Amino acid sequence: MAEALVVRNLSKRFGGLRAVQDVSFSVREGETLALIGPNGAGKTTSFNLITGYFRPDAGSVLAFGRELVGLRPHEVCAHGLARTFQVARPFGRMTVLANVMTGAFLRHRKPDRAEMRAREVLDFVGLAARADVPARDLTTIDQRRLEMARALATDPRLLLLDEVMAGLNPAEIDQAVALVEKLSRRGLTVVVVEHVMRAVMALARHIVVLDHGQKIADGDPAEVMANEGVIRAYLGTGYAQAAASGGGAC
Amino acid sequence: MRRPRGSGGLWLGALILAMLVLPQIVSNDFAIDIFIRVLLFAFIGVAWNLIGGYARQLSLGHAAYFGLGAYTSTILQIRFGVSPWIGMPAGGIVAMLASLPIGSLCFRLRGPYFAIATIATAQVLMLLFLKFRDFAWGAEGTTIPDLGNAPLMMQFEAKSAYYYIALALLAIGLAITAWIERSWIGYYLVAVGEDEDAAEAVGVNALRIKRNIYLVSAFLTALAGTFYVQYIYFIDPNTAFSFNISVEAALVSIVGGIGTLWGPVLGTVLLEATSALLQSWLGGSHGGVQLTVYGLILIAVILWRPAGLLGVLTDVYRRLLRAGATPAKAAPIDG
Repeated sequence: MAEALVVRNLSKRFGGLRAVQDVSFSVREGETLALIGPNGAGKTTSFNLITGYFRPDAGSVLAFGRELVGLRPHEVCAHGLARTFQVARPFGRMTVLANVMTGAFLRHRKPDRAEMRAREVLDFVGLAARADVPARDLTTIDQRRLEMARALATDPRLLLLDEVMAGLNPAEIDQAVALVEKLSRRGLTVVVVEHVMRAVMALARHIVVLDHGQKIADGDPAEVMANEGVIRAYLGTGYAQAAASGGGAC
Repeated sequence: MRRPRGSGGLWLGALILAMLVLPQIVSNDFAIDIFIRVLLFAFIGVAWNLIGGYARQLSLGHAAYFGLGAYTSTILQIRFGVSPWIGMPAGGIVAMLASLPIGSLCFRLRGPYFAIATIATAQVLMLLFLKFRDFAWGAEGTTIPDLGNAPLMMQFEAKSAYYYIALALLAIGLAITAWIERSWIGYYLVAVGEDEDAAEAVGVNALRIKRNIYLVSAFLTALAGTFYVQYIYFIDPNTAFSFNISVEAALVSIVGGIGTLWGPVLGTVLLEATSALLQSWLGGSHGGVQLTVYGLILIAVILWRPAGLLGVLTDVYRRLLRAGATPAKAAPIDG
């Protein structure tokens, strides 16, 4: 299978903090990759580097054969990479339908075509009944659904999900996992940043582990879980290291 | 963003008809003068609302474009004998050209910093025109030569003619807004106004859409400037680039209903009616009273009804509908 995303030697520092250091990994088309690691490991920063919100200090991001470094976020989206945000950011003044239509307008400029596409996506994520509700009135899980729907409405080839499971209860996590599996079965390439291990194990055949901005493991779930570095990063060699890894933006 | 059609068209037709016959029924010049002011400021509000309301870029410098429109047509008329009918769109184009550098500077800033930067641009233009003595008459300004009844030079004996021009401008502004509101552009503007980063994530080129809508807004505001000097037959930098124009443009939208089609119109009707009544009761002696009342209205709206007058009317309308549907019961929980 062809490579959907190839990240090579990606680096970014914020002042003295090396948020992402020399990280490389690749995602094959149709696969679901999980990017995991303790808080502050550089997962969200990597997302922001890939999707054009930050400019890397070094490295390259190749998606479907095109270099993304230097592109603005909307250009990255137009190239087929859609993302969600860790904290859901709905357009609160709009209805749920209008939110998703805003995404659909990228490929369909006519309002009735965009509405049709938006309703399909709302159906798919299970929000059809809430279409006319103001987006700000949604519950947490519905806001996550909306984030996904809005991203899906742009007809992406690669979907980047930033902690869509955070703050959900176990039943809701199962629903969200089922939704991502459904997308994956349709052939969509998915990259998830996730803390909820249950979801990671259910979804990903390929896991990349970051710690302190560096890649410490890359492989299938069994390999990664047996990796000594991963165990050290998660469980710590002592309390001191656990405390030290708490700082920094995630 | 979309509203059901149907009875709406009928109401709109009735409103247009009423506005068309109004100056035939009311022949009082003072009343017509107030109508013209209402139409003109509603139009400026509509123009402001595109960038300030839908896209939530709170500009307080729209006097820059009002003044550029006013000066362009006046200079063309007095120096080159060009009719204001041509000067008007020419002023619009000058304003568009000016909005490009102004926008590229100001759109880097967000929130209050954007507002402050736009105030500065209008003030700088005013200072420039105060200095342009040979070219633009400096601080003392100039009167527009009175040609009597000269429709081709946008001069009329009858006040009602000005009324119809202002009405046409407002109709154009509203038609453009209604079209934008229903197209993808309207959705993109609201998305950018809500959260620029999230809008970019779904493929919205935030900078471009802000720049483009600013062009439209500047163009329309400049048309109002030309009309205004033709109506009052006088121009000077303090009138053309008056901070009051910038404030009023924003105020009528905020009071009436920011980011809505009819908000600026409703807001202007309320504010201008208030100010006209105050003036006729108090005469010219109590200059500050009008501004005080404006301030109080603004405070009231922001405290109690951030959605503006239109929000109040919509609520009342919904409550009436609900009361009609379930007459015996108290308000249902799920409306």
